[in-house]
Amino acid sequence: MEIRIEMDVLEEPGKKVLLLGNEAIVRGALEAGVGFVAAYPGTPSSEVPMTFSRVAKKVGLYFEYSSNEKVAFEAATGAAWSGVRAMTCQKHFGLNVTADSIPPVAMIGVKAGFVVMVADDPSGWSSAQSEQDTRYYARMFKMPMLEPSNPQECKDFTKLAFDISEEFQVPVFLRTTTKISHSIGTVKLGKTKKPKTRGKFQKDPDRYYNLKPRLQELHDRLNKKLEQIEKKYGRKLNTVTSREGKVGILTSGVSFEYVKEALLELGLDPPIAKISLTHPISKSFVSDFVKNKEAVFVLEELEPILENFVKQMAKEANPNLVVHGKDLLPRYGEYTLETVIPAFEEIFGKELGINFKDHNIKVASALNGLPLREPVLCPGCPHRSTFYAVKKVFGDETIYAGDIGCYLLGIFEPLNMQDFVVSMGASIGVSHGIGLVSDQDVVAFVGDSTFFHAGMPPTLNYRFNIAEKTPLIVVLDNAITAMTGHQPHPGSGFTGMGEKVEPVKIEDVVKALGVEAKVANAFSQKQLIKTLQELKSMKGPKALVSRGECRLLTRRRFRAQGRTLPVFEIDQEKCTRCGICANDFGCPAIVKATVEPEGEPEYSMNPDICLGCTVCMQICPEGAIHILKKRRKNEV
Amino acid sequence: MKFDLMLTGVGGEGVLTTQVMIARAANIEGHYVRGVQLHGLAQRGGGIPTFIRFGSEKEVSSPGIMQANANLILAFEPLEAVRATYYARKEKTVFVVNDSPLVPIYAGLFNTPYPNMNEIVERIRPFAQQIHVFNATHLGKEKFGSTIFGNTILVGFVTGTKLLPLKANSLREAIEATAPREKEKNIKAFELGLQLGKEK
Repeated sequence: MEIRIEMDVLEEPGKKVLLLGNEAIVRGALEAGVGFVAAYPGTPSSEVPMTFSRVAKKVGLYFEYSSNEKVAFEAATGAAWSGVRAMTCQKHFGLNVTADSIPPVAMIGVKAGFVVMVADDPSGWSSAQSEQDTRYYARMFKMPMLEPSNPQECKDFTKLAFDISEEFQVPVFLRTTTKISHSIGTVKLGKTKKPKTRGKFQKDPDRYYNLKPRLQELHDRLNKKLEQIEKKYGRKLNTVTSREGKVGILTSGVSFEYVKEALLELGLDPPIAKISLTHPISKSFVSDFVKNKEAVFVLEELEPILENFVKQMAKEANPNLVVHGKDLLPRYGEYTLETVIPAFEEIFGKELGINFKDHNIKVASALNGLPLREPVLCPGCPHRSTFYAVKKVFGDETIYAGDIGCYLLGIFEPLNMQDFVVSMGASIGVSHGIGLVSDQDVVAFVGDSTFFHAGMPPTLNYRFNIAEKTPLIVVLDNAITAMTGHQPHPGSGFTGMGEKVEPVKIEDVVKALGVEAKVANAFSQKQLIKTLQELKSMKGPKALVSRGECRLLTRRRFRAQGRTLPVFEIDQEKCTRCGICANDFGCPAIVKATVEPEGEPEYSMNPDICLGCTVCMQICPEGAIHILKKRRKNEV
Repeated sequence: MKFDLMLTGVGGEGVLTTQVMIARAANIEGHYVRGVQLHGLAQRGGGIPTFIRFGSEKEVSSPGIMQANANLILAFEPLEAVRATYYARKEKTVFVVNDSPLVPIYAGLFNTPYPNMNEIVERIRPFAQQIHVFNATHLGKEKFGSTIFGNTILVGFVTGTKLLPLKANSLREAIEATAPREKEKNIKAFELGLQLGKEK
């Protein structure tokens, strides 16, 4: 999901404005004169491409939503090689998709500045599948990496990343984490630069030829570039508060923000070293910092990368140095003020006076027995309707393979329609394996944007290596990349620049891959069930495209046209309290409440959030749900 | 001066827009502003704790508020107000609770009944210096035709009571800049809340 507030990215230089970290990155790129941006949305990076999409025409740069991160990176490479400053942005998993194309570009190098922005998501705010520390990629691919701590640095470092990239002709990583990308802060703006959007690719075997033995020369050259970057920028970009004090703090990224504030709260003032260029790290800077210390406490989320570097430097510079880090703080999840403060209390022997543990016990008792509020599919979501029909036809024993998108929320009660989730497109790939080794019925759910992103290769493979028991692919087509904030994809009919384009139909793609495809209206239970029954009895590779517009988009469209959505009500006379609408279908607009303590629950509609999809009306066995009225203007 | 404000509610209620309004007002007054929205997946109908912090650049750096340290908690939804107690303590925190429950489907599914307002207040009390409860959502719908105007009524209320240490004019300017539509009605809703707050 995205943060849909449009802040002051295009304000005048010199002004102090409020920006989201991700917006500040866009401003930094505008100040660097970026001419070409390509991205596939992925939260917590989504607001970077969304902001570019919003301002691209106005400032005259090219922006596209690419069909996945790898092709976005490749397109940006083409631009940078042709002399146009280029950028691509993605979340950490997105970088895994991009990864295949990165090393040759790092080794060959670039002509115009090329920045690869990546947002990690420790604690998994927007990423259910896993945590990962992307800083390893900088080491693996030998690319410089800059890490801002706040929105001001997001802007400044993005601009700097372009300069470093162009100066040393190497792509540069800009890495954030969720709490940087999604935090707001005051940012002082600089001058923007008119983007250069046209260039020319010049044939140049000396530059681009990368087969053996040239490859080793390129590798050696890249190593030397890193040495030069360390020499020129290592000390300059990293900062240190003072050299006094026997116990020092070394940190980077958002942890620096926690360190500053925690120490202020505790009334402590030890020397703090902040590493902003986290690859290559300046050896001389770290050696100097640890030289006269008794101990250094390293604060970094996820992996002990800085900590290991400090230990390595201390071997020569200060063999008796005590290094703290992951011995005091976890190697998973995010840090917060309350996770770092107890560690400081332990090291410095000074107490803040708030007992976090006691407080937690008190909070737990205040929360005891309260209803949960897990995320749910929105009222009126077409996916809920599809899940409901699939369950009716395929039952509880069928294996339901999940994928990445809003429909991931089908994992929760009462739908329980995702037995596992791996990565983009993997529902089809994993289902194929299960289909080959077992006699089980398997249904693979995949979203429209996800299908275009990574669903085609596994569909082709499943058509090529046909299993005895072929899984059914169900493409949930709501015409948009909904989860990350309604970005267009090849099936949406418009581009990231807002230009109209003929939409690619998923059923055409599926058929072209040799797979039988049927289309059903996601808001019609009757049509869904009939089509699903036909597909169930069919042998061979087969897919259902369940088509229904994201209801939030329908609402937006209706609003723009001055129209209102219908609203439904439950007729209490006809309702037999069977509970199907709430207990099985689980639309959040249907309220199940017990009025008397031991009484029977009653069911009613919350008209403020009902989006009028009609599906509850279709599934009610008593015909007790009907249209109440036309909404008054301005409602919902 | 350092001020730690928490907004909380349910995805879709307009919490994020309100955050930006207030943060902009703080920026207009020349404060250094930080803040973060803990949203991600949870935004689809889940709870969204949201923070705004302002003061001097030296004092404010973490994007989130420390546990037990909020000055003001503005809860758009009562159940989420209880969950915000993590950030509250009796000596420091004032709660303003919008009495407009959004019953999660899990209340019915798992037979964990949604508590009534008295119980909500009793659960919050050990963490609150003061608790203000009123139904801004209802007022918004009644006076301005939509529940969404409850948000600017609440912002007006905390401004009028001076629980939020920002000037009414800064908020008016920020509402103008931020409200996605119906700017005029939003300003009127703010004035209504401001008046209610002043009378308090």
